[in-house]
Amino acid sequence: MIGALLYLRINSLRNLVAYRLRRLRQPKYLLGAVVAAAYIYYFFLRRLSFAGAPQGPAPVMADAGRVVAAFLCTAAAGAALVRIAFAWIAPSEKPGLRFSEAEIAFLFPAPVTRQTLVHFRLLSAQAAILLTSALIVFFFRRMGDVGGGRVASWIGWWVILSTFDLHVTGTNLTLARLRERGRGFVLWRILAVAAIVSYAAAVVLCAVAYLDAHSASFLAGSGPGAMGRAIGAMAASSPLRWLIAPFGVVFAPYFARSPADFALAIVPALAVVALHYFWVARTEVRFEEGSIALAERRAAARAALQRGEAPAPAGARPKPLAGPFPLEPAGLPETALLWKNLLSMRSSLLNRRTVALSLWVFVCALMVARTLLADSARARGGDIYGPIVVTLCFIVAGYTLLVGPQIARQDLRADLPNMDILKTYPVEGWRLALGELLAPTAILTAVLWACIIVCAFAFDSRGDIEGLTPAVRVSAALCLGAAAPFLCLLQLIVPNMVMVLMPGWYQATRSRGGGIELMGQRLILGVGQLLLALLVAVPAALVAVIVLVSAGWWFGSPAPALFAALVAVLSIMASELVVALWWLGDRLAAFDVSADSR
Amino acid sequence: MIEVEGLTKRYGGFTAVSGLSFCVRPGEVLGLVGPNGAGKTSTLRCMAGVIPMNSGTVRIAGTSLEADPVAAKRELAFFPDEPRLFEYLTVRQHLAFVARIYGVGPYEDLARRLLEELELADKADMLPGELSRGMKQKLVIACGLLHSPKVMFFDEPLTGLDPLGIRRMKDSIIRRAGEGASIVLSSHLLHLLEEVCTHVLILKKGVKVADGSLEEVAARFSNGEAGVGLEEVFIRATGGTEA
Repeated sequence: MIGALLYLRINSLRNLVAYRLRRLRQPKYLLGAVVAAAYIYYFFLRRLSFAGAPQGPAPVMADAGRVVAAFLCTAAAGAALVRIAFAWIAPSEKPGLRFSEAEIAFLFPAPVTRQTLVHFRLLSAQAAILLTSALIVFFFRRMGDVGGGRVASWIGWWVILSTFDLHVTGTNLTLARLRERGRGFVLWRILAVAAIVSYAAAVVLCAVAYLDAHSASFLAGSGPGAMGRAIGAMAASSPLRWLIAPFGVVFAPYFARSPADFALAIVPALAVVALHYFWVARTEVRFEEGSIALAERRAAARAALQRGEAPAPAGARPKPLAGPFPLEPAGLPETALLWKNLLSMRSSLLNRRTVALSLWVFVCALMVARTLLADSARARGGDIYGPIVVTLCFIVAGYTLLVGPQIARQDLRADLPNMDILKTYPVEGWRLALGELLAPTAILTAVLWACIIVCAFAFDSRGDIEGLTPAVRVSAALCLGAAAPFLCLLQLIVPNMVMVLMPGWYQATRSRGGGIELMGQRLILGVGQLLLALLVAVPAALVAVIVLVSAGWWFGSPAPALFAALVAVLSIMASELVVALWWLGDRLAAFDVSADSR
Repeated sequence: MIEVEGLTKRYGGFTAVSGLSFCVRPGEVLGLVGPNGAGKTSTLRCMAGVIPMNSGTVRIAGTSLEADPVAAKRELAFFPDEPRLFEYLTVRQHLAFVARIYGVGPYEDLARRLLEELELADKADMLPGELSRGMKQKLVIACGLLHSPKVMFFDEPLTGLDPLGIRRMKDSIIRRAGEGASIVLSSHLLHLLEEVCTHVLILKKGVKVADGSLEEVAARFSNGEAGVGLEEVFIRATGGTEA
């Protein structure tokens, strides 16, 4: 079985590399690879120290790195506890091991034992763990001179990740076995959760007690070095050291500073890994059904993400919804497409639930900020709250315009699989394109309008700016609100145009992973979107400024000047939209997704 | 009526369909057959206006597909091999959407009749994800028939249907033809074509090898033998090789 696994992994890897290299012969992939390589070099590799003169971090950085590493390890241990507790609190109906659908198809009917399948799964996980450990060491080594050499750190991370993986697997198998037995399943779960909660509470109480007694040592020293020593002393104090000993054994190889320390630390750590391995290997349980269900869920989630949709929670089945508005049998076809795409909103990452949640978080953040800043504002006698809210709104609006079109995809992009049907509809290309774009336009416009309304109230709420009368304020808000849908529509045309012009490229950029060439393609698309946004916005902005100044001088009042500028801006943007929609519609008529893949 | 003259479709340097011409009159059912890669699906997609052809003309019920695609598409229905449905529209909402797109007007009575005929009435408020493949296929057919098309294109219409579904699909095609529709269907199931089609067109490497009524095509390749079936005709016409 190990031979078969090695054959599978080595050949898959070799074929993948060969395929990726062959693909670089196509300019679009070569360009993507070059861009991504430049990006990775500039933002990551350039900062790393390679062979040559040792360039260890400055002492202060090293101290800071140790403190950060200590906090990260504490957080990781906490997260692991939560993960394990969650497994006991809400175990899956059919706990299973993680196999791919192809592995299930080939291995489950094969003449091998369950134990062999478990070993196959463990060995498969090892490949990912070794790679992840190497990447962590490679990219984050410079963060702090925490442990020994690179190899020791790599082994340290391997121990941590392997132990966690084995523990989660063992927990799932044990739960499956307890469920199979039936009797005492709930009792075992209650006992396990109680043990985990008691353990966590004991650790927290001991840490708090230590901090109460030794707060002076934490406050006395300054700098990360003193902080690091204080944390070390706390971890070494009794009874905390005994409580965190299981985690300490697993983390010790990573923190070992010398080869001797590492040699001492690695033996008990490997023993922990071995114990976990025996636990998993010896747990005989029927995991096939659960594994199949897990593989199907993962495949469905992957497919949903590829379509730009949110993966459905396990066991969730979509329920029919009433339309967003009554659809009359007669009328414009664009309205029907808007109606259809609004109905599909819940399947998108930008669905009703996330929009409502975002608004709720936004409102809560505003209330919390208001409370927190009230005292400060009173003390300074100024308005702190207003500028923060306005800044926040500008950030949200900017993201909505630049990133929003990539998230709100209830348009041609979501309908790519149905393109054959859409193209048989008796609707002109430009109308089809317009109808498809209306739903995401409505969503993004709603977000922009919310920002504009909030800004209209929060901007200069004390009335310090001369001439910013309520009339001007309302006029400015109305003008911006009128321009918002045009801006959103123009922004949405860009990614839809990319999909129609280069469907192969577009499809590739939507798949997860796929090598650095796809990462480069995604970067190129993002930058292209930004540049095109500037290209369509700059003429309108220039004209707006000219008309605003001239009309302001002519009318002698800003409010009419604003409306004059709005008319000019809308004329330009409407012209751009007409040309873009006509072109998109024309391209749509000639669009053949199958041709690109040939 | 479907009139095709000199239809050519190329993908880059590869010619999928070359200079194809034929005519399907009202009441006729034309079976499009050929080995894998012969250009059947490309022909159907070009005729339905899904993909543009490189040269040639297609007239749907007298209207040129190139000159007035909207009017031509109003008269046709295309049924792809895989049922393509909108995942978050119920059966009823699919019909409402299609009625609006095709400008059917008051469609409720017709929709109800179609749902009853296709045994979908009790599933009107279900999403496509809750339907079996056969039911999805039926929904596609209901959507396609809602605007009473004069021309229909079926690409492998029996894929995934159970025996009862196959029987009903065959009956439905024959009935629509009897009501005056011009129908083109592509399939590898030659017994289906023998039962349903009035005419057949054999394609190989994008070129028409033979066309005419079943009897005419059989006579051409029978070499004087009696009782030569369509399967034997197909093998003789295509040389027994793939495209």
